[in-house]
Amino acid sequence: MSNAIKQSGAFLEIVSFHLGEQEFCIDIMAIREIRGWAPVTPMPHTPPYVLGLINLRGAVIPVIDMACRLGMKMTEPSERSAIIVTDIAGKLVGLLVEQVSDMMTIKSEDLQPAPEIIPEAQRAFCRGIVALEKSMVCFLNLDTVIADELAQAA
Amino acid sequence: MSHENSAKGRTLSVSSRLATLGAAAFLGFGAMLAAGWYGGTTIRAASEAAVSIQNNVDQVEAMRLANVDLVLVAMDSIIDRDEKAIQPARLETIAASLKTLKDGSEAAKRLAAELGKPALLDSYAGDLQQIETAISVDLKKMIEEGAPIEAFAAIDDAIDSGGERMTTALGALAEEGSALLQARVNDAQHASSTSIQYQIAIGLFGMITLLGLIVYHGNMLRRGIFAVRDSMQRILSGDLNTVVAATERGDEIGEMARSAEAFRHAAVEKRALEHANEETRTKIETERHGREAVARDDEQQVKVAVEALGRGLNRLSDGDLTVVLLDPFRADLEQLRTDFNNTVERLRNVMAEVKDNTGSIQSNSGQMRAAADDLARRTEQQAASLEETSAALEEIMTTVRTATARAEEAGQMVDSTKASAVESERIVSDAMAAMQRIEGASSEIGKIINVIDEIAFQTNLLALNAGVEAARAGEAGKGFAVVAQEVRELAQRAAGAAKDIKSLVTRSSDEVKTGSRLVQATGESLGRIGGDVLRIHEHMSSIVTAAREQTSGLQEINVAVTQMDQVTQQNAAMVEETNAASHTLAQDAENLSRLVGQFQIREGARASVGSPRAVSTASRPAPSPARNLVSKVAGAFSSSAASKGNAQAAAENWEEF
Repeated sequence: MSNAIKQSGAFLEIVSFHLGEQEFCIDIMAIREIRGWAPVTPMPHTPPYVLGLINLRGAVIPVIDMACRLGMKMTEPSERSAIIVTDIAGKLVGLLVEQVSDMMTIKSEDLQPAPEIIPEAQRAFCRGIVALEKSMVCFLNLDTVIADELAQAA
Repeated sequence: MSHENSAKGRTLSVSSRLATLGAAAFLGFGAMLAAGWYGGTTIRAASEAAVSIQNNVDQVEAMRLANVDLVLVAMDSIIDRDEKAIQPARLETIAASLKTLKDGSEAAKRLAAELGKPALLDSYAGDLQQIETAISVDLKKMIEEGAPIEAFAAIDDAIDSGGERMTTALGALAEEGSALLQARVNDAQHASSTSIQYQIAIGLFGMITLLGLIVYHGNMLRRGIFAVRDSMQRILSGDLNTVVAATERGDEIGEMARSAEAFRHAAVEKRALEHANEETRTKIETERHGREAVARDDEQQVKVAVEALGRGLNRLSDGDLTVVLLDPFRADLEQLRTDFNNTVERLRNVMAEVKDNTGSIQSNSGQMRAAADDLARRTEQQAASLEETSAALEEIMTTVRTATARAEEAGQMVDSTKASAVESERIVSDAMAAMQRIEGASSEIGKIINVIDEIAFQTNLLALNAGVEAARAGEAGKGFAVVAQEVRELAQRAAGAAKDIKSLVTRSSDEVKTGSRLVQATGESLGRIGGDVLRIHEHMSSIVTAAREQTSGLQEINVAVTQMDQVTQQNAAMVEETNAASHTLAQDAENLSRLVGQFQIREGARASVGSPRAVSTASRPAPSPARNLVSKVAGAFSSSAASKGNAQAAAENWEEF
């Protein structure tokens, strides 16, 4: 995927969502499904951001509170919250977001890298920043966001 | 009886003594009669018993003879049996004998019972039966049939034995009966002699008793009468000092003795009185001679005194009250002179007082005259005021009636207002219900909007998923991605619209809540208005009641005022009379003072009368309270009337002064 960013003139399709006041987006190709909030079954001895497990048509998948994972305060799940089921390295993971705001197609050039003054460890979460007219959207790197946890969970 | 007589010997009256004698004689004769009657009764009973026994004995004797006849006839018949029939004469004899025997059996039984030997007749009835059968049946039959001689012998034996037994029994009975008869006769004779002895004894006893009583009572009476006779003879012969005897007796002789004693007392007193009269008469005679000489001397002095008194009285009749008798009278007439002087002195003082008082009466009657004039004038004013009061009361009554009518109208209006209040309460509750229905509808709308919102959200999600699928399909899903985008936009618009509607519905619900609260407040205030209206209604009705009471009270006042008017009229008439009377009184007072002036009280001074006092200012009349009241009441109803009344009152007050 990093190659894709470097490709110029190519188009990226992204899905943006809100976490608190901030707006983030992920690649649409990583998404398997978007569904409404349903109560989760908590798991013992998990980090606070792992909310628990849900049953997705027979498959048991974990749900992660993205706000908490990204260092913000816990999301209060409501009927209007959404779970974005993603396929990360072949594993299905549900991401709890407050609200799915848009689905858009951007040019590769519009995706700007994160400023380099931010330390590498923190920069790894972010694949880039999409600057729109009204706001700035952080393009999340799901591999880094989830990878460690997946490893640990495994 | 004689014992009792000695106990009461001196207290029995003469009639009771005679009664005692009579009673003793009566008792004696009665006892003799009783003894004679008892003896006669006993003798008669004994002779009756003897006669009865004699009869029975005779009958038994007859029966015995009949029996002998019967047996003899039977024997004769047996002897003449060859005739083959009993002779009719014999049959008759048989029947008569049988009848005698049968009839006498009862008398024989009685005799036997009386003798106490009923055993004598035990076999009599059986023997009689046997003989009867044998003679009147068997023998007759045998003779007619010509029976053999043995049979006749047998029947002859039977008849003989039965006849023998009967004869024996009857003979014994007759014998004993004769003995009893003799005993009874003896009894009767004995009883007769006993009775005669009793009668003689009783007669002797009664005669002795009677004789003793006569001697005793005769002695008592004779002794008392002799005592009284002796006393009366002593009184007649002039011996009044000896007391009459036998006064202590309780009978008529005692009464006679007491009367004689009273005569004796009267004679003693009469003699003493005659002595006293004699002494008095001689004393008076001697006194009279001494007095005649003194009387002639006195006459002269009395004449002097009478002339002096006559002169003094003449001066008095001329009105001169200064007269004094200075020359002394005789000692016993001196009191007359001082009394005359005192009387004249007293009369002088009284006349001086009368003179002073006459002056006072004159002045007072003058004042009364003036006061009566004033009173007459004021009474007229009072009558006029009362008429005005009556008129004012009429006005007040009219006003009160109007007020009553208005209060009643107001009560009716309050009634309709109350109905309106109730109606508006109902409307308010309807409005509340409508509001609640609106609220219910709003919440329904909210639910529907929620559903729409949910649908929009789900549609959005579906569109997103569709978009995701289209992106994953790559180039082939481009068109589908556009459609999904469109659907997403539509869903977003629907969600926006739903949100708008929701906010609108929320706002409308708030408004409805406010509205229903306001309506509720309106309802409460209407309820309070209803309560106030009720209270107003109560007040109005009490006002109406009070006004009616006022009307009746005013009518009573009116009646009272009318009565007052009449009384005032009468007062006015009476004041007129009083006025006339006071004028007359003033004139009379003047006459009186003139008359009193004729008396000379001091040397050379005639009585003068003081002038009447002036009327003091303290008798000024006070303002009438009733008039003030009337003007006040009039002022309470209409200002114009009040001002008029006030003006009038002011004018009248002015007049009063």
